This record gives sequence, C-alpha cells and structure tokens, in this order.
Amino acid sequence: MDFKTINTGDAAEVWLTGRLEFTDHDRLSDIIALVEQSAARRFVLDLSGLEFIDSAGLGMLLVLQDETESRNIKMIVRGPAGDVRRSIELARLSEVITVEF
Amino acid sequence: MAVPALSLSDCRVLIVDDNEFNRKSLALVIRRAGITDIAFAENGREGLAAVDRFRPDLILLDVDMPVMNGLEMCQALRRNATHEQLPVLFQTALDSDEEQVRCFEAGGSDFISKPIKPGECVARVRHQLEKRKLFNDLATFRERVQRELSHARAMQTSLLPEDRRLAEVADRYGLTLDAHFETSSELGGDFWGLYPLGDGRLGLLMVDFAGHGITAAINTFRLHTLIDRFPMQHMTPSQWLAQLNVALNDVLPRGQFATAFFGILDIAVDTLTFAAAGSPNPVLGTPAAIKENGPDIRLLDSAGLVLGVSRRAQYVDQSHRLPRGGFLFLYSDALIECGGDEIGPLGQDAVPDFVRDALARDRQHPLRPMMDSFYARTRLPLRDDLTAVWVARRA
Repeated sequence: MDFKTINTGDAAEVWLTGRLEFTDHDRLSDIIALVEQSAARRFVLDLSGLEFIDSAGLGMLLVLQDETESRNIKMIVRGPAGDVRRSIELARLSEVITVEF
Repeated sequence: MAVPALSLSDCRVLIVDDNEFNRKSLALVIRRAGITDIAFAENGREGLAAVDRFRPDLILLDVDMPVMNGLEMCQALRRNATHEQLPVLFQTALDSDEEQVRCFEAGGSDFISKPIKPGECVARVRHQLEKRKLFNDLATFRERVQRELSHARAMQTSLLPEDRRLAEVADRYGLTLDAHFETSSELGGDFWGLYPLGDGRLGLLMVDFAGHGITAAINTFRLHTLIDRFPMQHMTPSQWLAQLNVALNDVLPRGQFATAFFGILDIAVDTLTFAAAGSPNPVLGTPAAIKENGPDIRLLDSAGLVLGVSRRAQYVDQSHRLPRGGFLFLYSDALIECGGDEIGPLGQDAVPDFVRDALARDRQHPLRPMMDSFYARTRLPLRDDLTAVWVARRA
C-alpha cells in the first residue's frame, strides 16, 4: 500500500493506493502520526484508488476510527470501489464507520 | 551503542600454515585475545582432517602451501554443507588485489594482512567469532520458537473436530462431511465446529479472526472457551451470534475482530437457518428440478457486522431449504483471496462454478478436487489460513 496526503484546511485527507493487507501493519503508525499532527476536525480516508483490502486491512480502518474518535476528529471513509467496497459491505463496517460510497 | 565484548575463551581456532614461525606468531597473537584452544596443520589436506577432528569455530588459512593449498582447502570445505558457515580468514599480502579476489571466490570470509599486524588480526578474528556466536544463538532461538509453535499448532488443531468425530456426526445425521484446515504461518485464526443439538438439529460454526499468526491463534483459544459458555439449544442463530459478539467485544483488543457463520441444520424439516457476520458467502446447493442437469447452486448473503467491534451489533436469521441431496459449502477467505504467480485469486463470484467443476469430478466428495485445484493455482506457503467444510445431505 502507498498513500499520499492532502491538507484541504478543513480536512486532512489520506489517499490510499494498491493493496491494504496484513503486511501493511507498520504503515498504520505513519497514518496515525498524521492524524495526531493534524489540526483539522475532519479526517478523510480516500479508498477510490485502493484495489484490495483483506481482513487485517479492515482492522486497520477500525483502529483509525478509534484513534480519530478519541481525538474528537470525524473520520470519513470515501469512495471504496470494486472488491474493496464489497469487503466493507460484507463486514458491514458502515454500522460503525462513516462510509461515503 | 557500546556492546560488551563477548568472551572468546571457549572458541576453537585452527591455524593452517606450512611455516612454523607464522604458526607460532599467529597463535601468540590470538592467545592474547583470550583464545587458548588452538590446533595446527601444515597444509590443506592436514587442515581438512583437523577440521573434522578438532571442529574449530574459525580457521586462519595460508594460501601457498605444499600438498594442498589454502584455496583448494577452502573450496573443499564449502562443498560440505556442515562447514558452509565456518569463518575462514586467509592470510594474504594486502597489496595483491588479484589474490584477494581469488580468496573470496574460493569462499573465504575475510583476510588478515601479511606480515601479521597483531591489532588488525585480533580485531578481524574477534569480529568473525562474534558474528558466528550471534548467528548460532539466533539459530538456537529460532529452533526453540519453531518447536513451541508446532506444540501450539497441535493444541490448536485439537480444538477442531477429529476425523472420527466427523464420521460419527455424519452417520447420525445422514450426511457427507469433509473438512480441510491449513494454517498460514504455523498458527492461524480460523476455527470451525459441529454441535449436535438433539431432535435432528446440528449446529455448524465457522469463525475467522482477522490476521494470522500467534495473535489470531490466541483468539481461537479464547473463542473455544466462550463457546462452551453459551448453550445453543434454545436460541436462534442470530441471538447466539449476538451473545458471542458481546463477549468477544469485551476481550478483543481494538482492530481485532472475527467474521463468522453460525447455522443450525434441522433435518426433520429440511431447513438450514443461519446468521452471519461478514463471512465469505457460503454456497448452498439444492437438487434441481427433473428436467435440469446439475444441482441448483448459489451464494448466500452473509453480510453482517464483524464480531468484536460493537456491543450493539444485531444479526439476522435466514432460512433456506436444505433437503436430501442438498449441500452447504463453508470456507474461509483464503480460498478466494490467495492466488498464484500467473493466475490471480479465485474471487467470490467464481465459487459456484468452482464447486460445480469439483462435483463433476467427484460427486460424493468434491472437497478433494476443490483443494487439488486450489493448491494447483496457489503460491505456497499460504498467506492466510484456509478452512473448507463440505456438508451434504445424503440423497
């Protein structure tokens, strides 16, 4: 998985590309560090460029939800498509995370 | 960072040199570094014999010697797998680039320059011996961890139904039951079980904890304890799953969760009732109407909030006809997510055809051809745990 960040002033945005899976666990702390540094109240995780997510990747979304919630930051998962969308829907993560399809 | 120097007093060094003066001065130098266990040889052939007899931790090797030179001796050593890691320090003239290349090509680990400079010699010997010690320590540690992992693996496998138990339950309910279980990295997060509930009812559970390895495996042990605490008899699958979810929510750290399928097969009324929490879509097969050929095969909806994420999660029961001749196929996500080098993963949508093909090859036990074609297309070792369970009602 690779990611780039955009700060829109109103929100910190992280755009993920590639595959989010078990082996990416170490990258998670990089994204958490971004959340910690950001002054924005909104955190957008854009998944429109992500090709694949496995169960460990879904777990990372849950960890990020926890991290943002505890800092009073609103997290939005945006634009999952294809297999990624399917996995998120199968796991019904939209019951605990705000997902904009 | 300062690392305390390891003691070299228990290290054994073999000095191979045809020149007596060189042998003595080298021994003198390394004795000062605390190495007392030293053996000598005068040429390559004697050197090889001494390696077998003396079992050195390091060899100081001259290049030009009669009978067998140092390069030949080193090459002979490297051909033997036992001595692949044994450090060999050649004594060479530092200004000869060509000779140094030949020494490396022969399998040398490093050089000490001639004439011998005591400081450099001790430093290089120490460096090689310390590296060897650390390597051996690591190898021993790795062996121990491997041993413990395989014990844990045996424990984990003992949580799953044994073949004898499968046969018992199959006969009691008039079923064909076949199961396959393989973990990715010694330990896994998959679990499945069979629970006879009386009155022709059979509980079927499959759970997959996110990730794999030790953390996931510990979660399967947790799960096993929890299952015993919640009787299944007087509950719908959705109620039982909701109860399990609350319990897992209390014990699982954040970011960890499980997908699950829990169904009750009731053979008296030919019905499967199940609730699911994000497991891969199970495959249901029912005998087709007379004019059609194969069975009617379809994927069941198994969406549901994964277990252990929210105490408030609710699950939904679905009921489907599962008459004699019908079947249910359950599997973990490895089946559809693991691919090979040339061919991608199977994917969810291809599973019905995957089952159909296997049925064409073995109508009674299609799990075997399914696993054959999965392993034929998949790169090993598996990146995730694989569980697959075939439950068919005998016609």
